[in-house]
Amino acid sequence: MELSIGWLYPNLMSTYGDRGNVICLQRRCQWRDIQVTIVPLDRETPSETFQQVDIIVGGGAQDRQQEIVMRDLKGEKAFALQQTLNNDTPGVFTCGSPQLLGHYYEPALGQKIEGLGLLDMVSKHPGIDAPRCIGNVVFEITAKPLATELETIWGDRPIVIGFENHGGRTYLKTVQHLGKVITGYGNNGEDGMEGAFYHNAIATYSHGPLLAKNPFITDWLLKKALENKYQKEITLSKLDDSLAIAARKAMLQRLDLSKIIATN
Amino acid sequence: MQPIDRIRLGLAVGTAKTVTKLVKTLNLGAASVLPGEISRRLHPRLLPLLFKQVNYGVILVVGTNGKTTTALLLRKILEDRGFKVTHNSSGANLINGLTTALLVDTKITGKLDTDYAILEVDENILPLVLKDCQPQYILALNLFRDQLDRYGEVDTIAQRWQKAISPLPSETTIILNADDPTLAYLGHQLSKGLTPPSKGGRATQGFEATSNHTPLACTPRQKVLFFGLNEPQLYLEEIPHAVDSIYCPSCGHLLDYQGVYLSHLGDYNCPSCGFAKSKTAINSQEWPQILIGVYNKYNTIAAGLLAETIGIQREDICHTIKNFKAAFGRAEELTIDDKQIRILLSKNPVGMNETIRAVTDIQKNKPSPVTLLVLNDRIPDGTDVSWIWDVDTETLTHQGGKLIISGDRTYDMALRLKYSESLLENPNLELIIQENLTQAISTALEITPPNETLHILPTYSAMLEVRENLVGRKIL
Repeated sequence: MELSIGWLYPNLMSTYGDRGNVICLQRRCQWRDIQVTIVPLDRETPSETFQQVDIIVGGGAQDRQQEIVMRDLKGEKAFALQQTLNNDTPGVFTCGSPQLLGHYYEPALGQKIEGLGLLDMVSKHPGIDAPRCIGNVVFEITAKPLATELETIWGDRPIVIGFENHGGRTYLKTVQHLGKVITGYGNNGEDGMEGAFYHNAIATYSHGPLLAKNPFITDWLLKKALENKYQKEITLSKLDDSLAIAARKAMLQRLDLSKIIATN
Repeated sequence: MQPIDRIRLGLAVGTAKTVTKLVKTLNLGAASVLPGEISRRLHPRLLPLLFKQVNYGVILVVGTNGKTTTALLLRKILEDRGFKVTHNSSGANLINGLTTALLVDTKITGKLDTDYAILEVDENILPLVLKDCQPQYILALNLFRDQLDRYGEVDTIAQRWQKAISPLPSETTIILNADDPTLAYLGHQLSKGLTPPSKGGRATQGFEATSNHTPLACTPRQKVLFFGLNEPQLYLEEIPHAVDSIYCPSCGHLLDYQGVYLSHLGDYNCPSCGFAKSKTAINSQEWPQILIGVYNKYNTIAAGLLAETIGIQREDICHTIKNFKAAFGRAEELTIDDKQIRILLSKNPVGMNETIRAVTDIQKNKPSPVTLLVLNDRIPDGTDVSWIWDVDTETLTHQGGKLIISGDRTYDMALRLKYSESLLENPNLELIIQENLTQAISTALEITPPNETLHILPTYSAMLEVRENLVGRKIL
């Protein structure tokens, strides 16, 4: 079997170790003898390529870089990305990249940046003096049918452990929330919810990178991608995740959550 | 100085000295910050009064990586020529740290008797320091992403530097790294007497808007000198992932690199607007270097050029370079029984890429090299450890050997290393996990063969812990 991973603007949108998500997907393919190619989706890439990849990965960018991306991700490219996600291609958008998928992002200074409008949500910066939302974050995935599918893979409640670091606050309208915050700020520090889920696209402020300590999400993305590609049910072989489990335990213990969540 | 100033200065100095003595007597640390804090409360204009008394001038050293090593080398060069030097050698580089360092050499009468003050300055407080000080020299080494949870973007910092430096008098010499496009552009703007756009700047206008400001009529032009490498044999095979500034700082086009020395430092030009690496005032091929690693070659020629500009003879500088010993935790070497230990501070992606490069260079052809990695996530380290995924740890794991992993975020580092290999089991690689640092150090020393070197790659607070463990005393 083989898979291609489309990586959105690797030079521009990879500020917070988000390359880690690409590495996690790549290695878990290699460890299972699945052929994997990483396809950069950047300024030089023709729009067709955006529709030819099996998984889409997007990370965070600094302001200036995000602007360059938004100038490029227009017209045919924007349409191709929309088509891909609407056709159930799995995607993982972390850190700043979910803002791209919403209607707009309103920075603290300067002009509103239009997004793709794919996810019915908006993001706003509350002003330069407002503190950033920074810290370790834990949330439980509640989106349907994602939560059940993840639980089947993981054999336990799909609890995500990550790190958030965002100035903007995101407000969802009709799009489904990804999960419920157990500790941390989440989308806006107000409604106790985190991220968004649309078709097979996961959008979250949580990085760390997201996939390293939450291998069940990695495997879910791979499973979905292979099922789309080969049009049959796929069961991935089990991998040794003892390091990820130890990392999760260490963080939950530090956050005083190990008693509340008896997780893997 | 007014008599009242003299009295208040004396009071501040006296208090600082008492505090220093108290902190040291009670073994609370090295007193590198607190005395400055307290005495500045007693005398708010303390810093400019101290700066003015330095005989030949103040030298400010800024940059993300290499400040401590470069400042220490420069200090040794000057001291070897008989100059008296004041230096914030503990690495405390915020305002209170600078004040404390100056106060140490100030007499109770308020008289500061020193020839040069070499001050390592945090990149974010340079504008603040320049409000109180007209330095003789500013040495800017590089600008990389450092602590994401604390600091802004590289572009924003460079712009704030330009704004703070451009009003300085023409007696000030600015020495910059030509291989860093952001700094080369800064030098280019300064030597033309340009100031950055006043409001918002590039971040909100888009980068195209920057290259055509009107120069202010009376802006003084500081002398600008560049250092840089001209050694294509040191080029990396490819541009590493952890880069920030491969886009033209003038027009935003992708830069064309003839070769990269480390991160985004290299030989480059812009195919669109013609912006290119500035001409250097130094031929790096003629210079020996301190310690190990390409990054220390930069530190060497930076200090070398500044010393030459001051008027010190090349052969005297080279003599100091050859006898140089590391600053603590920066390629510092220790010996325990029959084993050597080399500590290489690894606090951000660029720094760690370079320490890994230096270590794997040394370990090449060794049968089973031993390396200890210690990852902490305290305030001085940055609380966000995701940066380790921007490090090319593959270079380290592919070489094989024994990697011991410890620190507050032991398992995060362990995962990074596990995910560096495309095979589930690399028979040449052994990952040894020990959360407890004391145990990790013991294990590492145990498995290091006699007469071989154990390399330790810690983050900042981890480096202090490692040293405390090894040397048995506190640094800060």
